[in-house]
Amino acid sequence: MADSNVLARCNLFAVLRGIEYLAEHDSECAELIKDTNLSIQFNVKDGPRGNLSFRDGKVQMKEGKHKSTILLYFTSPEHFNKMIDGSGNPIPLKGFTKIGFLTGPFMKLADKLNYYLRPEGVLLDDPEYFRINTEMTAYTAFFALAEIGNHDRKGKLSASHMPDGVLQVRVEEGIGVQLHVNKGVLSCVKGHHEDPRAILSFSSLESAHKVLNGKLDTFTGLGNGEMSMRGFIPMLDNMNPLLDMIPLYLA
Amino acid sequence: MTETKEAKALNSYTKSNELFQRALKVIPTGIPGHLGPVQSQFIPTSAFPLYAEKVKDSYFWDLDGNRFIDYMCAYGPNVLGYNNDTVDQAAREQYDKGNCMALPGRKQVEFAELLVDTIEAADWAFFMKNGGDATSFARMIAHAATGRDKVITVQGGYHGVAPWTQPITHAGITEGDVANNLIVPWNDAAAVERLVKQYPGRIAAFMATPYDHRVFADNALPEEGYWQKIRKICDENGIVLIIDDVRCGFRLDLAGSAKYFGFKPDLTCYCKALANGYPISAVVGADSLKDAASKVFYTGSYWSSAAPMAAGIACINELKRLDGANLMIEKGKKLTDGLVKAAAAADLDLKVTGVPSMFYMRLTNDDSLMMQQEFTAECARRGVFFTSHHNHFINCSLTDDDISETITVAAEAFSVVARNNPGRLNK
Repeated sequence: MADSNVLARCNLFAVLRGIEYLAEHDSECAELIKDTNLSIQFNVKDGPRGNLSFRDGKVQMKEGKHKSTILLYFTSPEHFNKMIDGSGNPIPLKGFTKIGFLTGPFMKLADKLNYYLRPEGVLLDDPEYFRINTEMTAYTAFFALAEIGNHDRKGKLSASHMPDGVLQVRVEEGIGVQLHVNKGVLSCVKGHHEDPRAILSFSSLESAHKVLNGKLDTFTGLGNGEMSMRGFIPMLDNMNPLLDMIPLYLA
Repeated sequence: MTETKEAKALNSYTKSNELFQRALKVIPTGIPGHLGPVQSQFIPTSAFPLYAEKVKDSYFWDLDGNRFIDYMCAYGPNVLGYNNDTVDQAAREQYDKGNCMALPGRKQVEFAELLVDTIEAADWAFFMKNGGDATSFARMIAHAATGRDKVITVQGGYHGVAPWTQPITHAGITEGDVANNLIVPWNDAAAVERLVKQYPGRIAAFMATPYDHRVFADNALPEEGYWQKIRKICDENGIVLIIDDVRCGFRLDLAGSAKYFGFKPDLTCYCKALANGYPISAVVGADSLKDAASKVFYTGSYWSSAAPMAAGIACINELKRLDGANLMIEKGKKLTDGLVKAAAAADLDLKVTGVPSMFYMRLTNDDSLMMQQEFTAECARRGVFFTSHHNHFINCSLTDDDISETITVAAEAFSVVARNNPGRLNK
C-alpha cells in the first residue's frame, strides 16, 4: 500500500520537478516563464517541504525550506496529493500579489506535465513527443525511486542493501540519470557520471519507453539485449525491488 | 604451443541466440534461475553461450560448436569430469534394473552406509534432490529437536531458494517467511554470543557454509578458532550446529569440510559433488538427532530414485580412489598461480581467495568488477568459461594441458583488459 507521505514526496520531488525539464525542452513552457523571477515554497504539514524557483528562464526544485515569493501550505500529505490529482487547492500564506502566476502560467505548466506524462491517442506517434514523454518519464521514475528508497518502509530495506557508489542509468547515445548511494541513502542526479560503479543501459529510447511503461519486463529486456548491465551488480539487484514499487506511487 | 582463438575468429553464438529468442516466448526469462543471462554472470550477454550441446571431462560444447574449458562445472556437480564412465556405468546398470519404483532400492541403504563410513560427522544419512531440500530439512530437524523458533545464519550466506533463505526484499517473500531469521557477520563469534543472550531459549540452530564463499566478494576462510568457538556456544546453549556443505562438499576433504577446519557439526547438508551430476542431495547427522530427523515428515516423488544413488556410490568411491579433494586443491593452486602471473604480466592485480579447488578471483584494479567482467567475457570469446562474481570449481579430470591452455587464453584476455583500461593498471 502506498504511504501518503512517500506519495507526497514523489509528487513534489519527482512529478513537479518535471517542470525543470519542460522549461528546457518545450518552447511554449520556456516562453511562459522566460521573464518570471520568483519561487514557490511548498510546506506540507507532517510531510515534505520543497521550493520551486524560476530564475532567468531556468527552473530548479530544491528540498527543504528556502526563501520564497509564494508560500503554499498543505494541512497533510493527503491534502498535497489531492492538489496534484487536481481535486484539491493549496492554502496560500504568502505572495498574494503573485497569485496570478499560480492561476496562470503555473497551471499551464501543470497541464503540460499532464500532457507529456499521460499520453493520449496518437500523441506517441510524434517522434518529438515520444522523446519528451520517455525522457520525462525516466527522470520522474528515478527521482521517485530515490524517494521510495529513502522513505517507504519496505523501500528503505532495499536501499539499505545497496552498496555505496554511483549507479548510472542511461539510454545509449541519450540521457542519463545517476543514483548516488551513500550508506543506504539515495539521491538522484540528472546526467552522466565519469566513474559509475554500476551501469544499467537501455539500447534505445524505444526500449526505455517500453520498460518504463510496463510493456517490456526487465528480465526479458536483459535477455533480448534491449537492456544491459555491468559493474557491481548488487547495486542493481537491490534497486530492482525499488523499480517494482514505482507504479505503486506513480500509476 | 597451444593455438588460441586470437589467431582464429572469436566465438559467436548464433544458434544459442536463436534458441533463446524462442525460449523467451514460452519460458519466463528464457533461461530461469542461476544459469540464465539475466543473473549477471554473462556480461555482456553477447560474449557468452547460452545453451550447451554436449559435455565431456572438463569441457562443454555449445550449440554453435564452440568448445569451452569449464570452470563452473555446472556450478559444482561436475567433480570427476563430465560423463565420467565409471559413474555413468553404475547409473546405467541401475536404470536397467529400475529407478523410480514403488519401493526404495537397495542402493539407498548402501549409499547411506558409504556416507556414514566416509564423512566424519555422519551417523546416518537422509536423501532428497536439491541442496535447498537439504538445508530446509536440516532446519526443520533443528526446530523439531529443540522446540525453538529462531535460526542464526551468516550475512551473504546462500542456502537455497526456499522463502526462509531469501531476503524480504525479493519478489514473493513475505515478512512471515523470514521472521525467525537472525543474521550475523562472518567470522564474528561474539555476534552469535550476543544473539544467544538476546534470545534465551529461542535459538534452534546456527547454519553456515564452512567458509564464506558468497558471491561478489572476496571469499574468506574461518579465522583461527572461529569454528571451535561456535561449537562451544552451540554446545553450551543447546543449539544445533548445521553446516551447509552443498557447495564445498568433497572439494575440501572427503570426510567433510568441517573436518578440514577441525570441528564436528551436528548436521551437514550435501548436494552438488555427491553424484557427479545425478540428481541427489543428502543430510547427514549425529546420532543424537536421528529421532528428530525421523519425526519430521519430509519426502518427494523422486527422492528414493535408485539410479542417482548408484551414481553417488560410484562417485564417492572414485573420489576416494583419486584422493579427489587434494587432487582438486593441487590443480586449483597450479591454475590460480598461473593466472595471477599472467595478470601481473599485463600490469593487472588478480586477487585469488577461498580454497583453490573452488577459488574466487577478481581484478582489484577497479572496485566495480567491470574489469573482471571484461576479463571473463574475453575468456569466453576464446573458449574458457569463468564467471565474474561467483567462486569457480575445479574437477578431477582437469589436465595440465587444460591449465596451460587456460593460462594462455587468460594472458590474451588480460592484455585486452589492460589495453581498454590504461588508467587503472598497476603502478
